Amino acid sequence: MRYEDVNIGDALGPSEMYLSKDQVRTYAKAMGMLAPRFTDDELARKEGLPGMITPGNMSLAILGKLVTDWIGESGARMTRLGVTYRQPVLPDHTIALNGFVTHKNDADRSVEMDIWIESDEAERLVIGTATVQFPA
Amino acid sequence: MSTVLDLHSHSEASEDSRAPLEAYLNWLKLRRAERPVDGIVLTEHRQFNRDADYRALEDKFGVMVLKASEVETDYGHILVFGVTDEMTRRFDFANVRLRAQELIDEVARMGGVAIPCHPGRPNVGLCEHYATKPPLENVVAVEVLNGGSRKGEDERSEELVARYGYGAIGGSDSHLVSLIGLCATRFDADVRSMEDLVRELKNGVYEPVDFRPRRKPVPHAVAVQSK
Amino acid sequence: MAVNYDPAIIGRVFETTDPVVVQAEDIRKFNQTIGDTNPRHNDPEADGGMVAPPSFAVTFRNGRHFFEHVPRFGKAGFDAGKDVEFVAPIRPGDAITLKSHVKEIYEKTGRSGSMVFVVIRSTLTNQNGQVVAHVDHRFMNRP
Repeated sequence: MRYEDVNIGDALGPSEMYLSKDQVRTYAKAMGMLAPRFTDDELARKEGLPGMITPGNMSLAILGKLVTDWIGESGARMTRLGVTYRQPVLPDHTIALNGFVTHKNDADRSVEMDIWIESDEAERLVIGTATVQFPA
Repeated sequence: MSTVLDLHSHSEASEDSRAPLEAYLNWLKLRRAERPVDGIVLTEHRQFNRDADYRALEDKFGVMVLKASEVETDYGHILVFGVTDEMTRRFDFANVRLRAQELIDEVARMGGVAIPCHPGRPNVGLCEHYATKPPLENVVAVEVLNGGSRKGEDERSEELVARYGYGAIGGSDSHLVSLIGLCATRFDADVRSMEDLVRELKNGVYEPVDFRPRRKPVPHAVAVQSK
Repeated sequence: MAVNYDPAIIGRVFETTDPVVVQAEDIRKFNQTIGDTNPRHNDPEADGGMVAPPSFAVTFRNGRHFFEHVPRFGKAGFDAGKDVEFVAPIRPGDAITLKSHVKEIYEKTGRSGSMVFVVIRSTLTNQNGQVVAHVDHRFMNRP
C-alpha cells in the first residue's frame, strides 16, 4: 500500500475482539497498573464501577494496533494518536474496532483517520483519531 | 422544497474535536446517498467565530455551512442560533455558568433562538434540572435526536417533548469526521441562511431525521425515524 | 468564574525521571497482552531492526512524585484520554527519560458535572537526547 493507494473513506476493520478478564488482568499486571479496578470485579464495584474495567492505556494500545495492522508492511508510520475515554470498556464482552480514513494531506503524504472501540450494544466507548505518515 | 440540516457539529475550533471543516464537507459529499443533508451548522463549544468565512468551501462541496454556538448554562448545554455582536457583548460565551432563562429571553429579543441540546443527558441536559428547578419559559424546541447520546438519553428527551410540547430537532453532535450528518433536522421550508433557519425554528415545521445505519438489534433501539 | 491556579506552573518542568532501559522482552510482553504479532515489533532480526509499537510510549511510568505536581481541583482526577505524538521509534536498549510539565488547564461541563481538565505533557527522550514522543495526559477533575 502506497500513499497514492489510500482513499478517503477506506475502512479500518471493523474487527471484533473478545476481551477476557484474564487478558485485562495480564495487561494491568504486566504494566504495573495495580489499581483493583483493573483486576477485581468486587473491588471495582466498591468504587462505583459496573465491574472491573480495561485500563485506558490498554484501549489506546488496542486502537494503536488497529492502525499499525492497517499500515502493515507499507513502510508508513503512525505519528500521532489521540483518544478520549467516553465510557468504561468492560472485559468479558466482545468489542468492535472501527476506523475510517478521513482526509489526506498531499503536502506531507500523511493521512488522518477516525478510530473507535464500539461495545456489543453499538455504543462508542473510546473514540480517537490518528495520523499516519507515508514515506516520500 | 424541504431542507435537511445537521444542526449540531464541532470542528477543530472546539477543544475536543480535531475534525477540519473541509474533511466534514468532503465526507458528506462521499456519503451523500446515505446522509442527504443540505448543510451543517457548526456549533463550536463556548465560542462564536464571527469572522470565519466558509463560502469557498461551500461552493467547492455544495454543502451549506452556517455558524452558531453551544454554550453552557445552569440548565445544561444550549445551542444558540442567529448569534449577533450584541449577544456576544451581552454574554460571555466562555462562561460555563450562564443563566439559561436570561439567555433564552435575551437571544430571542436580539433576533436569535436558543435551543437546549441533549436534554436527556445527565447534568448537562434539561430533564435532570427540571426535576429540581422550575421549567424554563419560552423554550421553542429541544434536541431530541443527538448522535452522541448514550442509551436512554434520547428517549428521556422525547418524554420531555411529549410533556411540554416543545418542537424537536436533531443533530449529529459530531466530533469525528465520519460521524457528520448522521442525525439531522428536516424543515418543510427552504432554508438558505441563518435568518431562514432562525425563522423556521421559531415558526416553521420540522422534524428530526436519523440516517444512522440500522445496527444489530438491541432492546432499546432508538425510536425516532424519518417518515 | 474562572479556575484559579498559579499561571507560572504552566510549562514548568516539575519532574524528570531516571532513565529506564527498554528490554526486548518488555516490548514482547506488551505485544502479547494486545495480540500484536507484527514481526517488526517482536523480532530483533526484522528488517530495519526491532522497534516497539508506537503505543509502547505510554507505558513508561511517571515518577514517584508525579501526582503531587498535578494540580487538583476537588475530587480525584480521572484519566479522560491521551494525545500522543510519536516522534521517533523506541528500540530495545534505548534508555528513556520522561520530563513532565502542566500544558494547559481549562473548565467545561459534561455528563458528570462541572469538570476541570488538566493536561500534563510528558516528553520522552532517549539516551542520545533525542525526543521520541510527547504524551499529553488529559486528567479530568470534578470540583
